[in-house]
Amino acid sequence: MIDLALLSQVAIGLYRGSFYWLLAAGLTLIFGVTRIVNFAHAAFFVLGGYLMYTFYVLTGSFLLSLIASLTVTGLLGALTEVTLIRRIYEVPPIYQLLLTFGVTLVVNDVQKLVWGKFPKYIDVPEYFKGSIQLGAISYSYYSLLVVVLGFLVFLLLHLIINKTIWGLRVRAVWRDPSVAQTLRINPRKLYTTIFLIGTALAGLGGSLIIVLHPVGPGLGDYLIVYAFIVVVMAGLGNIVGAFIVSLLIGVLSSVFTWLIPEADILLIYLIAAVCLLLRVGGLFGER
Amino acid sequence: MRILRETNVIMMVIVFFALSLVPIANERFYIYLMSLFMIYSVFALSYNLLFGYAGLLSFGHALLFASGAYVTALFTLKIFADPLIGLIVSAFSSIPIALVVGFLTLRHTRIYFSILTLAFGMLAYALLVKWRDVTGGTDGLVGIPKRGILIDISSPHLYYYFIFTFYCLVTICLYLLTKSRWGLLIRALGDNEDRLPFSGHSPILVRLFTFTVSGFAASISGSLYAVLMGVVTPDVAYWTFSAEPLVMTLLGGSGYFLGPMLGAFIFVILTTAFARFAEYWQLILGIAIIAIILGFRGGIGGVFESLYKMRLRLRGS
Repeated sequence: MIDLALLSQVAIGLYRGSFYWLLAAGLTLIFGVTRIVNFAHAAFFVLGGYLMYTFYVLTGSFLLSLIASLTVTGLLGALTEVTLIRRIYEVPPIYQLLLTFGVTLVVNDVQKLVWGKFPKYIDVPEYFKGSIQLGAISYSYYSLLVVVLGFLVFLLLHLIINKTIWGLRVRAVWRDPSVAQTLRINPRKLYTTIFLIGTALAGLGGSLIIVLHPVGPGLGDYLIVYAFIVVVMAGLGNIVGAFIVSLLIGVLSSVFTWLIPEADILLIYLIAAVCLLLRVGGLFGER
Repeated sequence: MRILRETNVIMMVIVFFALSLVPIANERFYIYLMSLFMIYSVFALSYNLLFGYAGLLSFGHALLFASGAYVTALFTLKIFADPLIGLIVSAFSSIPIALVVGFLTLRHTRIYFSILTLAFGMLAYALLVKWRDVTGGTDGLVGIPKRGILIDISSPHLYYYFIFTFYCLVTICLYLLTKSRWGLLIRALGDNEDRLPFSGHSPILVRLFTFTVSGFAASISGSLYAVLMGVVTPDVAYWTFSAEPLVMTLLGGSGYFLGPMLGAFIFVILTTAFARFAEYWQLILGIAIIAIILGFRGGIGGVFESLYKMRLRLRGS
């Protein structure tokens, strides 16, 4: 019976890990292409959740709100790039990090201003209620949706970057912006698009997490640590690695919470610290 | 250069003198506010040794602040109820902690150092939250005595001067350090790490030294904080608390010895005094940081300097 319980913890972990992935995907994509460590990324994730809440309250349609929320979040991310981040590509990385930290503070407080201090959440829409029997464990439709969406995002991102002409451009800039420029690729234009996509992914994650999980002040501060750990453990800018490590961290934290609740987060940080110490470039190497 | 050195000393004397007069106002709130300012000053000055001088961006500086606070709390509550002895014990026990953490994290630079210190800081936070029997979990430790066996600093005047003494001591020591040969080495490390070995010095040793000294000072500020508040909670180890000295340093200007102190002053006023009126001080702070990064990377100290230079130029012409 313990195996069954363990298995269902793994299933919950995959669900949890999918959120880490949706958060880490944009972070690692943005870093890989623009070399900016975007501290504000988790703030946009949370913003996505809040927007989802508002749209859902207004329209009552889950799908419509989801699309609206991730679009608006993505556009706001692109706007931040155009207005602020564009000016700091040339400055030392420490200052880039600090600028995005400033953006985090602003976005956090604007959220508090608009949506108040109390956490918000929405209920699972009717058609996602119920659960499916996968072998011996039962999985709610909604969890399945999140895991499948996470995987689809991974597949899509992977295919776009590796199989399309646009992806080729991204890879060229990824490898060397100045050489890419000689090939008539404008990195600056690409950067805005990358911010749009990356932040939209965070918006998607936030929109999905606000169903069932209360989203409130402080969530972003908590999540950004996980996101950083995932991205650095995987190797900065490594998308495949980020996907695997996200799910791994999700599963590990679920299993630890169940097996040894006295030390669950402690173990996660311990594993992260040891991993970082042993392999500086991340488990899967830097891009 | 000589003039700059003198301005620093003159400024320090003025600040010390002004601070020594605060208790005359006999207003509990101001005494508390300025005590907090002095504690944050020490914290921010210690942080700037790493950030401004050695060029290391740490996101785990709260770990050493928390070690000072928790060791003081545990020592005074369980072993010997005296704030002074608690402070000394916690300061010296921070040395092995800083050495171990520094040894593990300092092998890496740039973003890896930042993320590693973040991971270690959060590890410490998790430990404080989870090790309930010793640390009291999220409730923290309550009842850290101000009235000790050896000294009694339970009145506002007394605890103010207690904090003031250590504030002056640490500030002067750090200032002398930055002016010494070691200070020069630390700055050389921050300027160009690759060339430091050319002068026959080991970057890792200089880094470890800087980290330990900085940690020692940070733990003193943590200890003073525990004594002032009478209670410590794991919040002092959370990563956002590590970001606070960074914000102060940036506000004041990381290129100036006294910059962090100026930043700490603004920070304390903004968060404590204005928090009563404006709930959204983070918004203001965020905009200030963005403005600093985009416009005045030297912080407020930098603005003063350019104004001063402008005046000199006007006088010269």
